[in-house]
Amino acid sequence: MAVLAGLDVGSLLAKAVILDEAEGILAHSVRLVAGNFQTAARDVLNAALDNCGLTAGTVASLGTTGLGAGFVNGPSLRNTEISCQARGVHYLLPRAGSVIEIGDQSTRVIRLTGQGKVADCVISDKCAMGSGRVLQVIARVLRITLEEMGGLSQEATRPVSFSTGCSVFVETEVISRIAEGAGVADIVGGLHRAMAVKIGGMADKARLEGDIAAAGGGACDPGLVKMLEKVIGQKVLVVDRPLLTGAVGAALMAAESRGRG
Amino acid sequence: MFFAGIDIGSTITKIVIREDGGRQVALVRPTGAGHRRLADRVMEEALEQAGLTFDRIAFVVATGYGRVNVPFADAQLSEITCHMKGVNRLFPGVRTIIDIGGQDSKGIKVVNGKIGSFVMNDKCAAGTGRFLEVMADSLGLGLEETGEMALVSRSPVSMTRICTAYVGQEIVLRMSEGVPLEDIVAGVHQALCGRICSMVNKIGIEKEVVLTGGGAKNPGVVKYMEKIIGFPLLRPAEPLLTGALGASLAAQDLWRKAAAEGRAASPRERTLAPVSFFQ
Repeated sequence: MAVLAGLDVGSLLAKAVILDEAEGILAHSVRLVAGNFQTAARDVLNAALDNCGLTAGTVASLGTTGLGAGFVNGPSLRNTEISCQARGVHYLLPRAGSVIEIGDQSTRVIRLTGQGKVADCVISDKCAMGSGRVLQVIARVLRITLEEMGGLSQEATRPVSFSTGCSVFVETEVISRIAEGAGVADIVGGLHRAMAVKIGGMADKARLEGDIAAAGGGACDPGLVKMLEKVIGQKVLVVDRPLLTGAVGAALMAAESRGRG
Repeated sequence: MFFAGIDIGSTITKIVIREDGGRQVALVRPTGAGHRRLADRVMEEALEQAGLTFDRIAFVVATGYGRVNVPFADAQLSEITCHMKGVNRLFPGVRTIIDIGGQDSKGIKVVNGKIGSFVMNDKCAAGTGRFLEVMADSLGLGLEETGEMALVSRSPVSMTRICTAYVGQEIVLRMSEGVPLEDIVAGVHQALCGRICSMVNKIGIEKEVVLTGGGAKNPGVVKYMEKIIGFPLLRPAEPLLTGALGASLAAQDLWRKAAAEGRAASPRERTLAPVSFFQ
C-alpha cells in the first residue's frame, strides 16, 4: 500500500500526517520543535508512520511546508504555508469559503477559490499581537496553561481594554492590571478581544466570503474563536484537527504534482 | 530665584533645579515600579545636592509619562513641549529632534523655537529602547556591552522580523546559522534605527538634528542613525536631561508670566510629599 505523507514544520510545532487517497487520514503526530527543525521533522514523521504501523518505504510522496521545511532530509516537495493551508482546509472542510489560520508566529487570512486554491490572502507575521505568540506570553505571565485560556475568557464579565496593540507592552500592562486588581478572566477576555479586533481587520482586508474556517493552534482556543465570531459577526467553524491543515495540504499538493509529473 | 523641572519617564526619572541665569543641579534615578512614591524622594535628594530647601523653589513643572504623580508640581506639561524647550536652549540651531526613550520614541520639528509638528511611537515596542533591552536580555548582556559590540560589526544582518516578541528567537536562529554575534547585535541596532528614521521622515529630517534620550547614549544607535540619515547628529552632554531642563525653563516662563500679570504663580500651598491615592 502506498500512502501520502505531509510535514508541516512550524516555529513551535512539527506536524506530520499519513494520508490514503481513498481512506483519508490514517495517522498523525505533533511534537515541539524545541530548537531543532531537523530532528523534529524526522521524529514526527517516524512517529506518524509508527502510529499506523507503516514504514518509510510505503510513502509514495512527501510534501513539506512551514518555517523549518528546508531542514527536512530526503526527497520531498515543498509548498508555501498559504497554499497548503488553503488546500488542507478545503479537504477537511469542503464547504469553507475562507480560512483564518492562527499560528505561533503568524496569522493568515485566506479567501479560497471553489477548488481550494488561494483567491486572496492577508498575512500578519511582522507583529506578535495578531499571532498565537501573544497567547503564550500572557499565559506565562498569568501562570495558566493555553488550554485554560478558552474557558476563562468566556467567564469574563468586564474584559479589560488595553491601551496598546503591542504584545510586549501588553505584557507590561497585564502586570499593572493584575496589580490594580483585575481578574484573570477579564484579562484573558480583553486579550482575546484585542486579538480578534486585529484579525477581524485582516478579514475585512481579504474580503472573506462564505463559511469561515479556523485552523492552527489559535483555533484550539474556544475563547478566541467566540470573540472572533463576535467581532466578524459570523459563525466561525473550527476545522476538525486544526493543527494538521498545513500538513494535510502539503501531502495533497505533493501527490498532485507527482501525478502531473 | 530657583526653578525645578522633573521628568518621570517609564524607566528613568530626571530632575533639574536651575537658578535664574546661574548654576544648575541635575539628578538621574531609575523610575522602578514604585514611581508613585518616588518624585518627592528624588526632589529631596536634588535639593540636598543644591544646598536648598523646598520653599526656595519658586515653581515646579512635571513632565513625562509619570507627571500626574507629582503632587508638589505647580504645572504639568507634555514631554514634547519640554524636550523641545530643553534642546532648543542647548542647540539654538536645532530643526529636528529625535528622542529615543525606553518605552517610546518621538520626532519633533522645531520652527522658530516652537513645535512645528511631531510624530510619536508608543504603540510598538520595536521602535523604542525596549527592543534593544529585550535583545540584550536574551543574550545575557548589558546595554553598554551591546552598544559597543554593534560598532565592531562589518556586515550587520538584516532582520526578517521586526517584532520585539520575536527578536530572541531570531537571534537564536541567526546564531545557529553561524552569523557572528556582533553582526546580529549590529543588525538589531540597524533595524531599530531604520524604523525610527522612517517614522521621523514623515515630518522631514532637516539639519541640525539633535538626538536625545537613552538612545543617544548608545554608540551603536548613534552610528546607525548617522549612517541612515547621512550626516552627523548633535547630542547633548547628558542626553537624558533635556526634558527636565525644558521643564525647568518652562517653570521659569510660567512664573514670570504670572508675576507680570500680578497673580500668585502657585495656586495653592504645596509641600514635598508623596502622592496619595485619595488625591
